[in-house]
Amino acid sequence: MGRSYFVDEAVEEYLVGIQTAPGSCVTGLLAGQSSPQRDFVVLAVQTPHRESEGQPKASRGVSPLDDIDVEWVTEHAKQVSRMLPGGLCILGLFLVTPPELSKDAQNALKRLIFAMDKYITKGRLWELSEEDVTDQVTLHICSKTKKTVCKTFDVKDPKSSAKPADWKYQTGVSSSWPMLSCSVAVDVQIPMTGSSSDITDKCMKDGLRRWAKQIEAACCLINGRHALDDSELVSGQKKNPKTTHRQTLPARIFVSDAELDERSSALVQLCSGSVKVRGVVHCRAYIHNNKPKARHAAQAIKRDIINTVCSRVEMFLEDLLINEGSHKGLCSGQQALPRRVFAPVPVSGLSVCDYMFPDESTADVAERLKEMLDCKTPEEDIDTSLEGNQLFSNVCGSEITESPSDDSSKHVFSEVQTENPKNQKAPQYYAGVAITAAVALLATATSLLYFNE
Amino acid sequence: MLQCDFIFRLKGILEFACQLDNPNGVQSQSTISKSFQDLRSKVTSKNIVFTVCNSPVLIWPNTGFQSSVESLTEASACGDILQWIESDDGGSKKSSKKKDKKKSGPTVVNMKLLFEVTEPAGNTAPSLIRVSTQQHCVKMPLPLDCALSVTTDERLETVCTGLVEALNKQLADMEEVVLQYRKGSSFLVPQPFHFQLPEPAGLITVVYPAGVPDSQLQAVREDLHRKFELPCDRPYLRRANAFHFPDAAYKDGYLRNPHIHLNPPNIEDAKLYLVQGVYSYHHYMQDHVDDNGWGCAYRSLQTICSWFQQQGYVETAVPTHTQIQQALVDVGDKEPRFVGSRQWIGSIEVQAVLNQLLGVTSKIMFVSQGSELATKGRELANHFQTEGTPVMIGGGVLAHTILGVVWSENTGQIRFLILDPHYTGGEDLQTITDKGWCGWKGPEFWDQNAYYNLCLPQRPKSI
Repeated sequence: MGRSYFVDEAVEEYLVGIQTAPGSCVTGLLAGQSSPQRDFVVLAVQTPHRESEGQPKASRGVSPLDDIDVEWVTEHAKQVSRMLPGGLCILGLFLVTPPELSKDAQNALKRLIFAMDKYITKGRLWELSEEDVTDQVTLHICSKTKKTVCKTFDVKDPKSSAKPADWKYQTGVSSSWPMLSCSVAVDVQIPMTGSSSDITDKCMKDGLRRWAKQIEAACCLINGRHALDDSELVSGQKKNPKTTHRQTLPARIFVSDAELDERSSALVQLCSGSVKVRGVVHCRAYIHNNKPKARHAAQAIKRDIINTVCSRVEMFLEDLLINEGSHKGLCSGQQALPRRVFAPVPVSGLSVCDYMFPDESTADVAERLKEMLDCKTPEEDIDTSLEGNQLFSNVCGSEITESPSDDSSKHVFSEVQTENPKNQKAPQYYAGVAITAAVALLATATSLLYFNE
Repeated sequence: MLQCDFIFRLKGILEFACQLDNPNGVQSQSTISKSFQDLRSKVTSKNIVFTVCNSPVLIWPNTGFQSSVESLTEASACGDILQWIESDDGGSKKSSKKKDKKKSGPTVVNMKLLFEVTEPAGNTAPSLIRVSTQQHCVKMPLPLDCALSVTTDERLETVCTGLVEALNKQLADMEEVVLQYRKGSSFLVPQPFHFQLPEPAGLITVVYPAGVPDSQLQAVREDLHRKFELPCDRPYLRRANAFHFPDAAYKDGYLRNPHIHLNPPNIEDAKLYLVQGVYSYHHYMQDHVDDNGWGCAYRSLQTICSWFQQQGYVETAVPTHTQIQQALVDVGDKEPRFVGSRQWIGSIEVQAVLNQLLGVTSKIMFVSQGSELATKGRELANHFQTEGTPVMIGGGVLAHTILGVVWSENTGQIRFLILDPHYTGGEDLQTITDKGWCGWKGPEFWDQNAYYNLCLPQRPKSI
C-alpha cells in the first residue's frame, strides 16, 4: 500500500499552467507536510532560470534530461526550504517532460531526489525521529497529455525502488491548519578554538548543536497545555473544511540544562575567543488538522526554532565568504544576523519567510520571493515587524584591546557606541545605546538586549 | 523525627559559564562572582518555572504565582498539588500499603527547575558578538538541589517563594565553595547534600566540593557542628549521613532497617532500646555467594560494617567473605589457607576484623550459659542507648545479630530483637517480617546450655 498525497487545487492549477519549450524539461519542487498516515502538498515551485549562463551550454548528453542542472535544482531546494516555516518542508520534485522522454523520466527523478535530500539535510542540527516519514515524492507530468505519474522513494535507503503513490486534488487542504507561533530568546555562548573560517564553522556548528539539543529536549506548552504524550492537539476548533479561519496557537518553551553530564570538575578550554549568538527569533509552525498529536506540533515548532537560528548563521557565514574571502573569517565586535520577515503565499494564505540583511529592504525580499517561490507578493504584505531591527550597523574590525578587566563584553558595547555616528537609524537610538553601555556594567546580559522595546 | 507532612524537593542543573583572560590573575575572582550573580538574577527572574514531576503542573514562582492549572492559585494549600500527581505504579503496589502501615513519613513532591525562553521582553533580532582575546572558557554544571519541609496547610505560594530563596542561597554557597577550592583554571563542582538534623535545625543543605574526601573536610564539619550545636563525638554531616528521601530506592538492593515494620512486644513496665541509624540486612546466599551453613557470622559482620558505613564512620565498602578472611590472615589470627575456605568465625574474629578493616573497637561479653542472657538486660540496654550499634552474638553453632531489647528494669522481663543471617531467600520484606527472620524473640530463643560470646562494637569518637 503506497502513500497518499492530498494536493491543494492551487498546486494543480500551477502545474497545469507550466509552460515548456518544445522538447525541453521543467523541474520543480513540491512542498507541504508529511504525517504517518498521509501527506499534504500545498505548494509547487518550478526551478528558476539560472542567470549565470552566458551562452547556451552545448548539449552534453543525449537527451535534455541529462542537461538538468542537478546542482541548481538542489540549491533552489535548499533556498526554498529556508523559506518554509515549521511543519512545512520539501516533500519532493516534479518533472515535466515531452512524451518521448517519459520513460527515462523516472531515472532522472530518482537521481534528483536523492541528491536533493542529501544537500538539504546537510548541516541540519536536529535528528530525524523514528516517526518521521522519509519518503519523498516524485511527480512526472507529460507536457502533452498532462498525465501525472506519482511515485515515492525512501531517501534513507539508497537501494530504495520507486513505490506507487496516490495523488489526489482537494480544495483548501491547508485552510484550517492551525499555526503555532512564539518568540524565542536565544543566548548561546560558543568558544572558538581557532580563527580560520573552517574552524569557525565547526565551532559554530558544535555550539549550536548543543543548544539545539536543549531545545529538542525542552518542555513545550501549546495553547496552555503540555505537549507530551499521545494526546491530540486540542486547538478548540471544529474540524470543518469549510471554515477558512486559521487559529493561531501560542507555544511556550521551557529548557533546562539537564542534558549536561554530571561531572566532578569543570570543563576548561583555552580558546582564541568566543562568539555569542544573542537576540530574539520569531517562529512559526503549521500542523495539519487530521487528528494531529500534540507532540508532533511541539516538534514542528521546535524544529523551526532550531532551523531559523541555524539558517541565518549559515547565511551570514556564506555571505562573509562570498564578500570577503575565506581568509578573513569572523571579525570582532557585534554583527547583525539577517532578520526574519514573513509574507503570505497567495490563495492558501500560509506564511513563508525570508531573511533580510541590514542593508536590504522589502523590495529585495519581494524580488527573492518572486524568484525562489514564483509568487508575486506586494511589498506592503511583507511583515517586518516580528523581529526588531538591531540597534547598530555592523561594526567590524574594531579589535578588542587588552584591558585590566575580564569583562570583555563591556568593551564590545563601548566600541559600538563610538561607531554609532555611522548609524543611519533614528537619533533616539543613540541615547539609548549610551545608557545601555553603562547599564551593561551592572545589569545582566539579557536586560541589555531587551532595551529595544 | 520529622514533624512535617511534605518535603518539596526542587532539582535542576544550571550551567555556570565564564571566560577568564588570566585564571591566575587578580580579576578572575570578580569575573567568577559576576557569573554567579548572573545566575542568581536568572533564578529570581520571571522566566523561571517549576514543573511538578509526573504532573501537568507548571508554576511560575516569580510572577506573583501563576500556575498552568487553574485550580492551583496563591491561596492553595500545598497539599492540593497531590491530586495532580500521577503515582508510579511499580509492581509493589500491594506490599507498599502494608509496608507503610507503621511508617508514614512525609510525602515527597519532586519538582524540576526550568527556564522559559519564549515570551521575551524585547524582540531585537539576533546578532553575532565576537570576542577575539585568548580566553579560558569555563563551563561547569551546577547540580542544584533544594528541599523544604512543610506542613500540609502551608500555602503553595509560600513554598515556591521559599524554594526561590533556597536556590539563591544555594548559589551563594556554591560560589563560596567554587572560589575556595579553585586553583587557577581548575574548578571543582559544588555538590549539595541534605541532612536531617535534630530540631530546631531540621532539614539543612550543605555544599561540598566534589572529589574532596570527607577526611579533608573535617574543619568544615567542625564549624557546622558548632553552628548547629551538634554533639562533637558522632558524625552528622559526612556525605554518608545525607538524608535519604523516603521515595528514593536504594540502588544496591539491600533492605534497610526491616525492623521498623515490626511492632515491639507489649511488656508491662518495659522500655524499648533499639539500634540507632541505618543498617543493611545481609544474609545467606546474597551477592552470588553460597555460604549456606557456614557464613552466618560473616553476614552478621557485614550487617555491622554496613552500619558503620551508613553512619559515615568509614568510606570503605562492606567487605566480602574473602576480604574478611584475608583480614584475619593479615592480623596473624589465621593461616593463609583460611582464605577461600568455608570455616566458621566467632565473636573474637568479628572483633578483630572490625578493628583491622574499619578501625572500630568492640567489647566482648561472655555468657557461660544461654539461660544467662536473660539477665543481661541492663548491659544491652546501656549499649543500645550509648553506642546504638548492632550486636553480633555467636554461640552453640549459630550466629545472629541483636538489634535491640525490650527490657523492664523492675521485673527483669526481656525480649530480643533478632536479625537472622540464616535466611536464604530474596529481599522480600513481607516474608522476612512475617516469618520472623527479623523478629522479636524471648529468652527461650537461646540454647539454654551453650555458651555465648557477644561482640559489642563501639562508636569511634569523630565527626
